[in-house]
Amino acid sequence: MSVQWNTASLHAALLASELNAEAKIDLIDSLDPSIDIRLTDFGDLPVQITVSGEQIMVSSALWEASQVKDRARFNEQALMLNPINALSNIGLIALAPGRDLYIMFGELSASSDLSHVIEEVRVLADNTIEAAEAFAEQLI
Amino acid sequence: MWSKIFTMFRGAAHQAGEAVIDANALRILDQEIRDASTALRKSRDDLTTMMAQRKLTFDKLGPKQRKIAEYGGYIEQLLSKGDEALALEVAQKLSELEGDAAQDEQLLGQYDANIDSLKKSIIQAESSIGRLKQQVDAVKATENVQRAQAAIASRHSGSNTALRTATDSLERIKQKQAERSAKFDAAKQIENLGGDQDLKSRLASAGLLEDSSSASAVLARFKARPALAAPTQDAPRQLGSEASTPGTSA
Repeated sequence: MSVQWNTASLHAALLASELNAEAKIDLIDSLDPSIDIRLTDFGDLPVQITVSGEQIMVSSALWEASQVKDRARFNEQALMLNPINALSNIGLIALAPGRDLYIMFGELSASSDLSHVIEEVRVLADNTIEAAEAFAEQLI
Repeated sequence: MWSKIFTMFRGAAHQAGEAVIDANALRILDQEIRDASTALRKSRDDLTTMMAQRKLTFDKLGPKQRKIAEYGGYIEQLLSKGDEALALEVAQKLSELEGDAAQDEQLLGQYDANIDSLKKSIIQAESSIGRLKQQVDAVKATENVQRAQAAIASRHSGSNTALRTATDSLERIKQKQAERSAKFDAAKQIENLGGDQDLKSRLASAGLLEDSSSASAVLARFKARPALAAPTQDAPRQLGSEASTPGTSA
């Protein structure tokens, strides 16, 4: 019943889904392709989907670490937020040497139903905007 | 596994390149998967050997047990015939056979226990390989996210401008909301205006509301004031003479 997605097949399925009416969905083709989604109702927030093996990762960029006034305080609050934040977590990735980026992300099985992937995208976008609102004062 | 990655985090923090973390994590995971699958292969080989040995032992035990039954029969017959000497000779043979069979049975018990524990460790190794592969997927997914974000960073804001995607989007949402509520207010005003006019015109057509600017209303107003009737009749003339005044003075 469940299909194992890859980036290309998931992109095609998303284009044919109801999400296409509320977002701009692009395939960023490269050696490891990713899907770029801009959600109209969420201020064109870019959400990325990548499929690796058995895992789908949905993520959006919050802000760079250099923009956080007090990183220790922010990190602690993000960690406290993670357990109560449904479906998404806050994480940190290295954008380039010396450039850390905070992201909101959620992970799903690569054999998840399309509807679950779409829900994850919407919830992630919602959580990202919530976070932007909640942490606004802590940013430079 | 986690402690190895954390050790690596500490190491990588001293180097400038933090992207090294992913490469290192993948190397560690790769090694762990290799180790686990080597162990798995060995467990499977051991299991095959163990099961073959068990079968050999089991196959030898059958004839021995048949021989034990056979010799037991001889002893009974010899004893009933009173040939105790020969019965003793057979009994010696039987005791050797019984000892041998008992040893085989003990061996079989050991094989079974080993086979059980090998099967368990095979299941364990398989699931730990599955878990390690999931971690590889997670690290690779993170790598992809990093690449995708870096691509967005360079595409949208130049590589030196900080990415503030979430706050930018929040600003856009707020702006849209402000625009929308302004539009809504304007629409509401127009609607009120329109509603009012519509009501007035409907009241007027129902004869309930007099339109003060209509010609009939103006006429009615003048008719109600008969004293002013004469001056109004002169008015055209006066207006006419006034109109000529600029011409005469010029």
